[in-house]
Amino acid sequence: MKSMYFKIGIGLFLIILIAAIIGINQYNKPHVDVGDSKVDYVFTPKKLLGEYLQDEMVATKKYANQIVQIEGNSYRISTLKGNSIITFKNKNTESSVICHLQPKENNKILKLKKDQYITVKGICTGYLLDVVIVECVLIDSEI
Amino acid sequence: MKTLFTLILTLLLISQVKSQDKFLTKTGFVSFFSHSLVEDIKAENNQGLSIIDTKTGEIVVQLLMRSFMFEKALMQEHFNENYIESDKYPKATFKGKILNFNKNVTEDSILEIEGILFIHGKEKEIKIKIKGEFKKNSNELILSGDFMVEVADFDIKIPTIVVNNIAKIVKVSFEFHHTPYK
Repeated sequence: MKSMYFKIGIGLFLIILIAAIIGINQYNKPHVDVGDSKVDYVFTPKKLLGEYLQDEMVATKKYANQIVQIEGNSYRISTLKGNSIITFKNKNTESSVICHLQPKENNKILKLKKDQYITVKGICTGYLLDVVIVECVLIDSEI
Repeated sequence: MKTLFTLILTLLLISQVKSQDKFLTKTGFVSFFSHSLVEDIKAENNQGLSIIDTKTGEIVVQLLMRSFMFEKALMQEHFNENYIESDKYPKATFKGKILNFNKNVTEDSILEIEGILFIHGKEKEIKIKIKGEFKKNSNELILSGDFMVEVADFDIKIPTIVVNNIAKIVKVSFEFHHTPYK
């Protein structure tokens, strides 16, 4: 009888321990590594802007929180709080695609010039006056 | 109704920016901080859009909820999927007016601003005091400050299991560096 209670006790302890480990791992799970993640959609700035300008609600449902790759000529390269921003502009509209890069990309950005053909991938967060993409990384093969 | 609201707001934004009196930023900083005995939660957004009409003091601010970055991925996931429902309500908006605005505000001038805050499909009138400064050499209009937001005012439901982890009143801080709209 005693040994049965002991076994149940050990069993319960193990279940609680496993649940605690899973819980801690979940709580501390890392953010999505954009560099290593599969690209969901590939766009030219014109195509992505076109989708948002045509129907913002539909585009938001489809692309928000997705990993998108943007390929095009940069309109502006700027910095914000030490991090880089690449802006892609569509000549036909006032809107642009604004890509906020991760801090680790700062060294690579020094090699880039305005009007250069650049490929970046990042997480699309939606549209204000422009399409906003965050946590971006540069795709090395283009640099 | 929501589509109509977005359309009206977008038209308003576009019509507002077609003038030399308009100052704007697309990289406005907004953060919120929740303090509880269990844990502190902080999120930052550096992609805020703010447009101000320097003639009238009218201001419109828009934020994408998915642009808020948290230290922990799980918190960010819960915020977007369970609490703020970013797929359904992707933006937060403030539309208001600076009551005692003039473009000659110097360092640390205190301005009073009132307007309506739209979050999670709900709206609430707010009236707060903020700091304003116009930097003549860089032609930059800086607005900054903080205010408290009651989570319950915006119908944000927090599950019982984590109710002690999230403060009932959250502190929102902001800093916008507006430059002339070209």
